[in-house]
Amino acid sequence: MNERDEALKELLKRAAGGPADRELKRDLWPEMLRRIERPPVRVPWWDWALAAALLVCLLLFPETIPTVLCLL
Amino acid sequence: MTGTVEAELEQFTRGDIQAFETLFREYQGEVYGWIVRIARDPGVAEDLTLETFWRIYRARARFDPHRPFGAWARRIATNLALEHLSRRRAEKPLHDDLPPRAAACAAPDPALSAEVRANVVAAFGELPAKLRAAATLAMIEETPYEEIAEALGISVSGVKSRVFRAVRLLRRSLEKRGVRP
Repeated sequence: MNERDEALKELLKRAAGGPADRELKRDLWPEMLRRIERPPVRVPWWDWALAAALLVCLLLFPETIPTVLCLL
Repeated sequence: MTGTVEAELEQFTRGDIQAFETLFREYQGEVYGWIVRIARDPGVAEDLTLETFWRIYRARARFDPHRPFGAWARRIATNLALEHLSRRRAEKPLHDDLPPRAAACAAPDPALSAEVRANVVAAFGELPAKLRAAATLAMIEETPYEEIAEALGISVSGVKSRVFRAVRLLRRSLEKRGVRP
């Protein structure tokens, strides 16, 4: 780094207030454990079937798409 | 790597929660310390630390226990921190995008005028996330280039190039704002 770069670096450090405090203040494991133990969101099979049926209908009858969009 | 560590990593890849807890407790400080250097916000760094380990946990089956866990964790953490910087750049107005002023991080030099500081912060906030991360790590945190390169998954010359580009853009942006460092 040349002199000008060093001056810019110094300005940046002064604006930033130097290096961040890198110490973790608390144990994050309890939160991690909660996340692991949270039951996964499951979509019932009939919802998938309904979505698939709707998709098939839209593919077979594309002229119904504006009507479906209006209903939404 | 010692046999014990490798055995623990093997257990972790098989989904052993106790092995994961041991790894978590051993590396959470290191991962947090790395993220806070890039994000410069303790709250964000905690969230991203949890997200890093969550991704690690979900990807456990793909982890090779013969490779260093810390480097893997740091790579994931870096990617998450970069994603965060990109999102923040897109979402926040520039004057709010203050990586240097972030709460509970170091306080800015009081001798520096508020106007100059605001200009520096705005100019810094305009940098693309990858350049900002490289500049923060190299220029503010004074992290060795080799360490930055490893975490970013690029070569040392790649890091130097990013820092060089960041400096050039910063200088141009500051000059437009009437600040001549």
